Amino acid sequence: MISSEMAVKAYRKTGSLFINAVIWLFSISCIFPVLWLVVSSLKTSSEFNRNIIGIPSSLQFSNYAKAFVTADLGMLSVNSAFNAVISMILVVILTFSIAYLLARFQFKGNRIIYYMFLFGMLIPMHALLVPVFIQFKEMGLFNKRITLIFPYVVFNMPFSLFMFEGYIRGIPKDLDESAFLEGSTIFRTMYTIIFPITRPVMVAVALLAFISNWNEYPFALVLINSQHLKTIPMGLVSFNGEYSTDYPLKMAGIVIATIPIIVLYLGFNGKIIRGMTEGSIKG
Amino acid sequence: MSNHSALYPKKTVFISLLAPGVVLYAVIALLPILGALFLSFFKWSGGVHKTFIGFENYKNLFTDIRFWNALKNNLIITVVSLIGQVGIALIVATLFLSRSVKLKNFHRSVIFFPVVLAAIIIGFIWTMVYSRDYGLLNFILRSIGLESWIKPWLDDPDIIMYSISAPIVWQYIGYYTVIISSGMTAIPKEIFESSDLDGATGWRKLVYIIYPMTRNTIIVSVMICIAGSMKIFTHILVMTGGGPGSSSMVMALYAYRNSFVKYKLGFGSAASLGIMLISLIFILGTRKIMGSKNNDQF
Repeated sequence: MISSEMAVKAYRKTGSLFINAVIWLFSISCIFPVLWLVVSSLKTSSEFNRNIIGIPSSLQFSNYAKAFVTADLGMLSVNSAFNAVISMILVVILTFSIAYLLARFQFKGNRIIYYMFLFGMLIPMHALLVPVFIQFKEMGLFNKRITLIFPYVVFNMPFSLFMFEGYIRGIPKDLDESAFLEGSTIFRTMYTIIFPITRPVMVAVALLAFISNWNEYPFALVLINSQHLKTIPMGLVSFNGEYSTDYPLKMAGIVIATIPIIVLYLGFNGKIIRGMTEGSIKG
Repeated sequence: MSNHSALYPKKTVFISLLAPGVVLYAVIALLPILGALFLSFFKWSGGVHKTFIGFENYKNLFTDIRFWNALKNNLIITVVSLIGQVGIALIVATLFLSRSVKLKNFHRSVIFFPVVLAAIIIGFIWTMVYSRDYGLLNFILRSIGLESWIKPWLDDPDIIMYSISAPIVWQYIGYYTVIISSGMTAIPKEIFESSDLDGATGWRKLVYIIYPMTRNTIIVSVMICIAGSMKIFTHILVMTGGGPGSSSMVMALYAYRNSFVKYKLGFGSAASLGIMLISLIFILGTRKIMGSKNNDQF
């Protein structure tokens, strides 16, 4: 009897070791190309060409300085940050407002608005590149400082709206109702009572919007052509075309462009994942 | 004045709260579709002159072998992604249910990390991973004695779609892992309490209880995955530009090429609408086949 119990225990232990090993292997494969990128970006070009995998003998931060200056990453980051931050704020405010009204009130058009945004979630937004380009040309919105804010807000709306809406549905209605009965206006109820409660989702929505806007390339490619309005991804593409053989230099440029994302992710990854878990995309 | 009226806000208040977002969305995301519908009946290269040509653009689109080839490539990406992203995510999420997995939050964060990287950066990284002389992949193959497996990963039309799908799959597994995990954690705790998932009964429970209960989550994942595969653009633009030849051309890139390289904007509009239509058919068709019970969400 005892020996069979031990056998079960041993079996369990092997099983658990095996599962953990699989998960570790998987995690490593997810991060390894990025680690390779960071390590290689600190080598000289000839050192990298001799051995693509080894640890750098001395850290070449000069790659970073050169990439930063040559690719004009300073200006590009300012442009990207401008687009990403303003769009992020607008996405949060606009989608929260719509989501709140959709979740709390049955009104004519409720379902129409809902399906309008659902449609936006389902169509491949890159199919809109050409139509949006033509419309922006006609509206005089092509290649302006504020040009990219429009698509960046709009294309983040469907996802954000559903995250908010699902979460708000989970907040007890009594809360709004008692606030109203105490004389609170709809503005106050929405923005000072419910909005703070949605924090987990709000943080995730804001961060995901910022990240996707910082990363966005196709619409920038199509809607912007002035040097001084270019964003980080646009700059990286031309930089990488220019220095196609100098891998460490290219990699340094890529790392610089990704630093804001990495910093945000290190700080907030738990919040992003929690927000996604609590939002309603799970269906 | 009366408290009651506050419960049902005035129409003007209501509209002023809804309108900014809804109007902005309609003008930027929906209006261009109508514009494209109009332009799709014209021959237009961006100048003053538009020539009405009826359904000519659509005829040319649907008889262009390159368009169907692009669609085929989108479908290859879709199938590989469904198996690779949703399938692997399902396995990883299932493993996460096990009590014996240590450092779950750490692993989840690491696996999700590629999701937040830019498509363009994934494209750059993997172009380097696939590089013949300085690539990570060939280096690994060489060091484990599989030299014979080395291939021109991004230059061989026969394997290009798989070379290109790998980074796309790799990037988004974490996304689906989080979605599916969240669906799984919504399962009542009591179901887990009676016995351990690691035991023999665990697998049975998985098949008969957990998967059926996460069905809606899986359906949503499948739909998001199809929608995502249909819009693939940047990864491919960066890695191959649609080449070699047009062997890795996808629909979004096809519309882009025709509009901005060949300046066929009327045709590009027709192609854009074609992409939307085809994608919607696939997504809604899949939903129908899989039979989502939850009408409120998708």
